[in-house]
Amino acid sequence: MLEVNHLRKSFGKTEVVKGVTFTVDKGEAFGLLGPNGAGKSTTISMICGLLPYDSGEIKVDGFSVKEHQMEIKRKIGVVPQDIALYPTMSAHDNLIFWGKMYGLSGKQVVKKANEVLEFVGLLDRGKDKIETFSGGMKRRINIGAALMHQPELLIMDEPTVGIDPQSRNHILETVKELNKQGMTIIYTSHYMEEVEFLCKRIGIIDHGEVIAVGTKDDLVKRLSGGTVVKMEVNHFQNRLVEELNTLPLVEKVMVNDDKTELEILVSSGHQALGELVSTAIKNFIEVSSIKVQEPNLETLFLQLTGRSLRD
Amino acid sequence: MKRIWAICSFEIKKTFNNRHAFITMLGLPLLFTLLFGQLLGGTSTLKVNIAFVDEDQTVISKNLHESLKDNDLFTLKEMSLEQAAKQVKDKKIIGLIQVKQGFEKAVVSNNQPKISFKHNPDFTSSSMVDQIISNAVSKAAIQAKASTVWNQYSKKPWEDMYTILNKDISSSDQIIHKVAITKNLKTEEMDNMSARSAGFSIMFVMIVMMSTTGVLLDARKTGVWYRLLSTPTARFQIICGYLLAFFLIGWIQFGLLIGSSTLLFGVHWGNLMGIFILVSALLICVIGLGLLISGFAKTTEQQGALGSIIITATCMLAGVFWPLDIVPNFMQKIAEFIPQTWAMKGFTELIARGGNVADIIAPVCVLLAFAATFLVVGMMRIRYE
Repeated sequence: MLEVNHLRKSFGKTEVVKGVTFTVDKGEAFGLLGPNGAGKSTTISMICGLLPYDSGEIKVDGFSVKEHQMEIKRKIGVVPQDIALYPTMSAHDNLIFWGKMYGLSGKQVVKKANEVLEFVGLLDRGKDKIETFSGGMKRRINIGAALMHQPELLIMDEPTVGIDPQSRNHILETVKELNKQGMTIIYTSHYMEEVEFLCKRIGIIDHGEVIAVGTKDDLVKRLSGGTVVKMEVNHFQNRLVEELNTLPLVEKVMVNDDKTELEILVSSGHQALGELVSTAIKNFIEVSSIKVQEPNLETLFLQLTGRSLRD
Repeated sequence: MKRIWAICSFEIKKTFNNRHAFITMLGLPLLFTLLFGQLLGGTSTLKVNIAFVDEDQTVISKNLHESLKDNDLFTLKEMSLEQAAKQVKDKKIIGLIQVKQGFEKAVVSNNQPKISFKHNPDFTSSSMVDQIISNAVSKAAIQAKASTVWNQYSKKPWEDMYTILNKDISSSDQIIHKVAITKNLKTEEMDNMSARSAGFSIMFVMIVMMSTTGVLLDARKTGVWYRLLSTPTARFQIICGYLLAFFLIGWIQFGLLIGSSTLLFGVHWGNLMGIFILVSALLICVIGLGLLISGFAKTTEQQGALGSIIITATCMLAGVFWPLDIVPNFMQKIAEFIPQTWAMKGFTELIARGGNVADIIAPVCVLLAFAATFLVVGMMRIRYE
């Protein structure tokens, strides 16, 4: 369904996408996971034909984005990161407008708007203005607008930013249902749990480069036994980090912003626990809690980049 | 075309969905027209009140009353001398015309007629009233002379012929007409109410257009622009949809203002085809200006601030708030480089001089030249990425 090959894009002298390559099969849900500023949105914009790329190639269903923009735009639905709706108009009016932009008309567009409202669970609020909706409801209509023309490929750019957990779950269930119905999904996020929940294959992107692609299991296997130990401390001092870094089992040490928690990437979590605690005590630092986290994508990201996904 | 119309109709619906928009579109321009229209004298044919005191009560004095009634400088109210004197003192009327006993006798016998005009010292048009009275008395004297000559030959009462003469020679022979003369006046200008009506319609259409064209910036901010570009809609369709919407919104507003000002203030806008062409050219120009400003502004707030400054300043210079004749010459020269000046010139041709399409070719061409410049630069500044 989608082929992205050696894609490159620069803004001025800054190269923001550096040879990104990945493919997405028909009917697949593919996750693009990376921290803010990793190049996810720029890559998505180029796939949608909104941003020209410097080199490389993008093909959607065999059509090159450079040569067949209109054909491709008919096949894809885009859910932008922003709430791209008209707040002073009703949900129904918004959906009808976007349906018309995708070429629907007459009774067909009205029928589809009602179907979409029902699908996102807001049929009873259809006549209300968007500005009266909660953040989660706005996000649901934001997704609905991209579904009006029943796209083959749905591209979602961080569609759950800034909403409550209940709305997030609703959206994730909705996307899962769409994928079950056969729609190909590309889902970008910096929330590991969302991508893990929805996507079979995942691409990890950082600093404009795809640093790993595969199923969750494939990716976790690459950890080669790496584990993250989360240690909460009182009275943090920098020399603790220096000392922890000298321990043979420790690969990386990261401290959160308010200096209360350390994330320590170790080659063997359980073996390292004793050494980590004793090092802290030796430096007169009180450990309030310590937890060994099972290996996951976050751990892999940390191992590959030395940064947290939410940095 | 379907997509262009979809964008256009949605924008129109969105604009008129907001009830507050009607305040800016209709309420404020009418209020400003009323305030500024009255402030600077309303219509140019405003009349003062003068009392007519007829102590003679004869055929000639009554005819004189009828003859003086028909003028565009003052309104006559017949009353007694005491009433008139009191009203002049109370400044309810500007003066009184007193026709004393023996007036007819004096006219018929070719003597100095007994008539006087007394007025408040601050009444500056007294000489014009004197002139009107003098003309009316002269006319009465000539008619009386003719009637008495006729009486000598026919031996019938001279009053019969005097009445006939007064009927036949109607008041159409009015000699004095009031014309407002200003230092640069070469031809007839709009009365103040019409001028302010046209001026404030222009100004508030510009204000509304400024916020309407701001939707492009807003669309970029909210992500609507991004989403629009991701649909299978060509860029030219998006732009045409928006431009058509701006044009129609502008016309709806101008149409409502033309209708309201006609009903409320009695403004006659003149040749309809001329108005259609002039307003259309003006709207294209204003839309171009809106696009130009939104092309340089980064946010809707910036556009609003910049737009307000430009609109207010240029409207002041272009004679929207007051007649251009009262400003210094150098400002009148600057006004030539402002689109509103040309729109006002066009409206003057249509409203005050009864002009038609041919008479507004020059203002329309200048407005379209402004429009072309603004639109080209404005469109070049639209960012699609």
